[in-house]
Amino acid sequence: MVEEENHFRAPLTDTFRRKSPFSQLFEHMRKVREGISILEEGLINYYRGDYKGFSEITKKVSKIEHEADIIKGNLRNHLPSSLLMPVDKGKFLWALREQDAILDHAENLTEMLDMRHTKIPKEIQELFIKHANTVMKTVGAMEDAVSNVKDLVETGFVKREREQTKEFIYKVHELEWEADQVRYQMTRGIYKLEKKLSPMDVYHLIKIADWVDEIADHAENVADWLRSMIAK
Amino acid sequence: MIDPVWLTIGGASAIAFYMAWSIGANDVANSMSTAVGAKAITHKQAVIIAGVLVFLGAVLVGPHVSETIKSEIIKVEIIQSNLLILGFISSLLAAAIWATISSWKEMPISTTHSIIGALMGFGLIAGGVGSVNWLKIGSVAASWVLSPVFGCIIAFIVFKIIVRLIFAKREPVGSAKIVGPIIIGITGFLVSASFLLKTPISATYNISDFQGVIFSTLVAIIIGIISIILLRKIQAKKEEEDYFTVENIFRKLQVGTSCYVAFSIGSNDVANAIGPVAGIIPLAENGVLNNQAPIPIGLLALGGIGIAFGAMTWGRRVMKTVGERITSLTNTRGFSVDFGAATTVLVASKLGMPISTSHTVVGAVIGVGLARGLEAIDLSIIKKIVISWLLTLPIAAGTSIGIFLLLRTIFV
Repeated sequence: MVEEENHFRAPLTDTFRRKSPFSQLFEHMRKVREGISILEEGLINYYRGDYKGFSEITKKVSKIEHEADIIKGNLRNHLPSSLLMPVDKGKFLWALREQDAILDHAENLTEMLDMRHTKIPKEIQELFIKHANTVMKTVGAMEDAVSNVKDLVETGFVKREREQTKEFIYKVHELEWEADQVRYQMTRGIYKLEKKLSPMDVYHLIKIADWVDEIADHAENVADWLRSMIAK
Repeated sequence: MIDPVWLTIGGASAIAFYMAWSIGANDVANSMSTAVGAKAITHKQAVIIAGVLVFLGAVLVGPHVSETIKSEIIKVEIIQSNLLILGFISSLLAAAIWATISSWKEMPISTTHSIIGALMGFGLIAGGVGSVNWLKIGSVAASWVLSPVFGCIIAFIVFKIIVRLIFAKREPVGSAKIVGPIIIGITGFLVSASFLLKTPISATYNISDFQGVIFSTLVAIIIGIISIILLRKIQAKKEEEDYFTVENIFRKLQVGTSCYVAFSIGSNDVANAIGPVAGIIPLAENGVLNNQAPIPIGLLALGGIGIAFGAMTWGRRVMKTVGERITSLTNTRGFSVDFGAATTVLVASKLGMPISTSHTVVGAVIGVGLARGLEAIDLSIIKKIVISWLLTLPIAAGTSIGIFLLLRTIFV
């Protein structure tokens, strides 16, 4: 019956694709949100020295990353070359790519943390937690910016909505800068403790700071591509 | 023994009914699909509304257009009258077959162009190159360019106006209450003008164009005032629901414009089905073709019923899937597309141009897309549709020639 009905579809409607590229971008973004919120919970437990259940979280994040990859692949492979979109297709695809990189890094981070359980020294524990929170906030602001594009398209790119999206983008930049500052403090703290720590611990702590910070960098990249996407 | 004259007329009428059915299946879905897709009405409602309006459009406003088709495409004087009957029948059949195939193959072709192509093919064989009115064929070719371009421009402008005057304002709902009635009024003017300007109604009641315009303006003002009263109570529940509320206002409007498109399809396209039969009747009865002979109301009703029947059978199936397919077409977009198409068709038919609804709708969709209103338009499908337009004339002509030659070897 379903097949038969497809025979009788009206051609005009085919021109609006069944799943618009934007709704697929949002779908992908929801996966990012899901993965990042799982990561945040696990990361803070890890920082506090609670490694119970971290392997579970690693598996979950990896699964979500895979699901997001399928959405990304679907979107990228089935976007026809002759598609009239309200934004530049190249920039759209770059934003998608950067959005996907967030989950890639989240997956990498959880795998690496799971391989070696490094105890965070008491002195810098709070800084680590603050850093994680700031990075997750950056991703959250990026999600707001991406969601706002929906309103932007809905209203046919009116100035008010464009300004609102831009505000979200500034917020991403601000938070990313903040995360960077915390990261420098963390690194400084690690070097101060270098006499107390084993070289391997120092290496891993520095790497953790790097890996977490990269997530914020990619959230900023999404925001940058979004900004150039909605430029007049 | 049945009178062969009535046998001819009966057979021709049956084919005309088939043609009307295929028009209903192909065209009506285009008119109502934006309303169904935007969830303004259900499929069932759309089918019933379309059926009724198409019938009314055919019976009330139809005859005026019928004259055009039957005598302007080919110079009937230089063709033998018995060949003419065969020719009209084969043209009808050829056009109907092509319309059926294209509905089945999901292509929104113009049934008007289909019948013109079929008549052209028959004219070429029966009377030679000189018997075809090439100027008329040229105007068909012009429609390939004009209808999408006009549809595109008007839809673009309408959508831009909605964005500028409603969405861009601080309070979109408040602005919609001011702009809405004006747009409703303009729509009312267009609908009323399509009834009263140069139609059989205006001829019967002796309404001049000037009176028609005055009356339409009055109708527009009254409708505008009524809508001010109706819209007064609408309020956005939360600030976030502003756009949603605006879309809701346009949802109601869209039902009106969709009805108008359905009505204009009835009035424009019924001629394609019954025009050739109207030519056959006097020919079969006394062997002369009288251009001035009025088209019997029964024939119009037959065409109207045929189109309505087509809309309710295949059109129903078309629309059923349509509703699930248009997801990104919101009410403001649907309204812009409908308004662009309806206005273009109205203006063109008053100017006597063979413009096609489906061509204008495709153009209007592109127009909204160019105004950055749609999330994505697949241009490769539009390309496919355009190719099917170009193929309509030669294929209809070829089929018509084939059927005509076959009928000639059997009967003559």
